[in-house]
Amino acid sequence: MAVSQHSVKGSRREKISIGHKRTQRQQRIFFFSVLILFIFSIVMIDIDGSAIAKGMERLPVILASLTQISFEHFLEMLAGMVTTVVIAFLAVLFSFVISFFLAFLVANNTTPNRYLGLGLRYAVMIIRSVPTPIWVLIAVASIGFGPMAGIIGLMFPTSSFLIKAFSAQIEEEGTEVIEAIRSVGGTWIHVVFKGLLPTILTGMIATLGVRFEIDVHESVVLGMVGAGGIGYLLQSYIQYYDFANLTLGILIVFVTMFLLELSLNRIRALLRTQSS
Amino acid sequence: MSTILKIINLTKRYNDETLALEGINLEVSRGEFISVIGPSGAGKSTLLRCINRLIEPTSGEVIFLGQHVEKANKAELRKIRAQIGMIFQHYNLVPRLSVLENVLHGRLGYMSSIKGLFSLYSEEEKEEAIEWLRKVGLEKEIFKRADELSGGQKQRVGICRAMMQKPKLILADEPIASLDPKSAEVVMETIYHNCIELGIACLVNLHQVEIAKKYSTRIIGIKSGKLVFDDTPDKLTDEMSRFIYEGKESEMYQHQ
Amino acid sequence: MSHKKVTMDLKEQKKIKRYFSLIFFLLIVGLAMWYVDFNFIELAKSIPVFLGFIFTDFLPPNFSDVKKYVGPVLDTIFVAVIATCVSSFLAMILAIFMASNTTPHPVFRIVCRGIVSFLRSIPFLLWAALLVVVFGVGVLPGLLGLILYGTAFLARVYAESVEEIGSECTEAIEAVGATYVHQLKHAIIPQFIPSFFSWTLFMFEINLRGSAILGIVGAGGIGSLIKGTMDLFQYSKTSTVIMILITMILVVEYITTRIRERII
Ligand SMILES: Nc1ncnc2c1ncn2[C@@H]1O[C@H](COP(=O)(O)OP(=O)(O)OP(=O)(O)O)[C@@H](O)[C@H]1O
Ligand SMILES: [Mg+2]
Repeated sequence: MAVSQHSVKGSRREKISIGHKRTQRQQRIFFFSVLILFIFSIVMIDIDGSAIAKGMERLPVILASLTQISFEHFLEMLAGMVTTVVIAFLAVLFSFVISFFLAFLVANNTTPNRYLGLGLRYAVMIIRSVPTPIWVLIAVASIGFGPMAGIIGLMFPTSSFLIKAFSAQIEEEGTEVIEAIRSVGGTWIHVVFKGLLPTILTGMIATLGVRFEIDVHESVVLGMVGAGGIGYLLQSYIQYYDFANLTLGILIVFVTMFLLELSLNRIRALLRTQSS
Repeated sequence: MSTILKIINLTKRYNDETLALEGINLEVSRGEFISVIGPSGAGKSTLLRCINRLIEPTSGEVIFLGQHVEKANKAELRKIRAQIGMIFQHYNLVPRLSVLENVLHGRLGYMSSIKGLFSLYSEEEKEEAIEWLRKVGLEKEIFKRADELSGGQKQRVGICRAMMQKPKLILADEPIASLDPKSAEVVMETIYHNCIELGIACLVNLHQVEIAKKYSTRIIGIKSGKLVFDDTPDKLTDEMSRFIYEGKESEMYQHQ
Repeated sequence: MSHKKVTMDLKEQKKIKRYFSLIFFLLIVGLAMWYVDFNFIELAKSIPVFLGFIFTDFLPPNFSDVKKYVGPVLDTIFVAVIATCVSSFLAMILAIFMASNTTPHPVFRIVCRGIVSFLRSIPFLLWAALLVVVFGVGVLPGLLGLILYGTAFLARVYAESVEEIGSECTEAIEAVGATYVHQLKHAIIPQFIPSFFSWTLFMFEINLRGSAILGIVGAGGIGSLIKGTMDLFQYSKTSTVIMILITMILVVEYITTRIRERII
């Protein structure tokens, strides 16, 4: 502040800086450190120039073969896509059942025991930090290929995501309701089912929608590591350079995701009008 | 006295149905301080925004310093807008920028895209901006962020921004509607004295008839999009102001 | 009296409607389970197998090769950094075209939205797998895959944040006779900066996880270690890699949270 005052009163030739010092400094530090990190990463990572050149040569050919769409495996792919969606759906459903109860044990204001809540919270944090495909790889290694591996693999990250989101919702909206019910002598069960559930149910459903979208996405990927569904087909098309079928597969994924988003948006709008 | 603004038969229709303005005729000369009064929804804001085409007029003419605003192309419109200062009810400052930067925005109308992009304001402009801030009593706030100020202070920054444009005309859309009486008076005094001192014509939308009477050289009454009163303040009788505000209120009662 | 009856009917109707949606929902669940041959007994058997596998085969971790992991771990971070920077830059431009209050022309808006929603709907791992075919095994296809997906993701959330910026500041800047470029620089960007930081940091977290699994399709980084050790049944080594991964992600999450708190 003192410096800026000085610059105003000081000599006429001195340049006046006009910005808000703290905001500007913050932004500069952020952009500068990101720039340094970026340049350092570029230098450190070894990207093979010849690979790019060769790739660019190959690109037109591959793009051309991608335009030759084939409907030969259409039904098979459609069935695969349904499997993919079903895996995601069941994983979200089971995770919901699990996380619904665990969330109340984790949330600060409803946990019956603080240490239990804290322990669960850390467990959730660690489970969440392992990417989904790794869970599925482990599931496939332990129980073999197939939808069950996908469902179990998805359930871990999904449950931890839901527990985190739900407990945050409970903490945010619950305190007043809990106090009201506790003050008339309600038990833990009362608090949860009579007081909290009605207030946070809409929020929970919205969260489920978000997670379902993520899980369908993940489920496509999971197929690629051996959990069945369309991902498996896509992976094999890529492996055998079968681009005509791959194009159709990609389009099916796109259309599915698009329809899913549309219908979820509609459900969200419906919930909003109902709750208001 | 020279004419600054001339409005002929101005009409504005929203969505092909709401007739917000209907056949407005108005002439504003240098040094005039005109209050626009009228009930909520009468079309006051629409009138002001049609003048600098923040809202496109449906028909009619707006002539600013002899130039047709409604026919102006992009570059011409920029030049016209640069000479018309605007003050808003909600101050419309950029909250995350410093007060000084907000005041300097008043110069953007005179700068090329490139110069403005890199904020290349001249040192004279910066000093002038600081001088304006001193004049309105904000010398301590120059380098604060706009969102750190109180409402009255924000509005004074808004006035400085308008003054930086060296405008021929100032449009103020309910500049004191969100302020407490004390800050409102400071803001009105600041607008009034600077406009009179520099010979800037001013159009102010107001809700308070008392304040309109206190400052204006002329008062305009608008009611459901029509100009129903245009005369000196002493001609605005209690009866007249009741007439201007009356229709809308009775309508409001009916709605309830 | 009649009024009361009508409301009763409405209530009744609502109840019936609710029952129907419940039945409908259960039907879907049943169909879904039938479709993938799902049964609870198998689930009940599988989960213990799965957990048992983790606790017996994965633990205790084997730290013998830790030194060999340093390179891939760093690669993973570098890829995430580069992907985030490049996609945030591209997404910024796309977002300005896409947001309703900054688009130069509605046609831009529609075209960009179309491209972005296509890119976003395809998982980046699929892009990466496809790009492995083009550029061969290595870091590059993974990086490009992350950039493709990240750009689309960020473009959408940036555009949403830009659209949330009120018209007030833009209006004031427009009223002084400023150009389009001025409006972007002086009204939109300053208001957008906090969400820009926040979303970009979030993207970095996503990219770090993404970058860590790229190796599964042959695109380098930690993922190749995980896949490699698992293919050789060296699960105790896999668990070491996963532990490194967990630590890395938690540390980064901690740092980004702290940065977010400090940004005002
Ligand atoms: N963007 C718009 N689209 C459609 N109708 C509008 C729009 N803006 C204003 N109107 C309508 O035009 C009429 C005049 O509105 P205007 O905002 O000019 O009134 P006002 O006199 O400024 O009122 P207030 O004192 O409440 O600010 C109102 O009936 C309003 O509903
Ligand atoms: Mg108004």
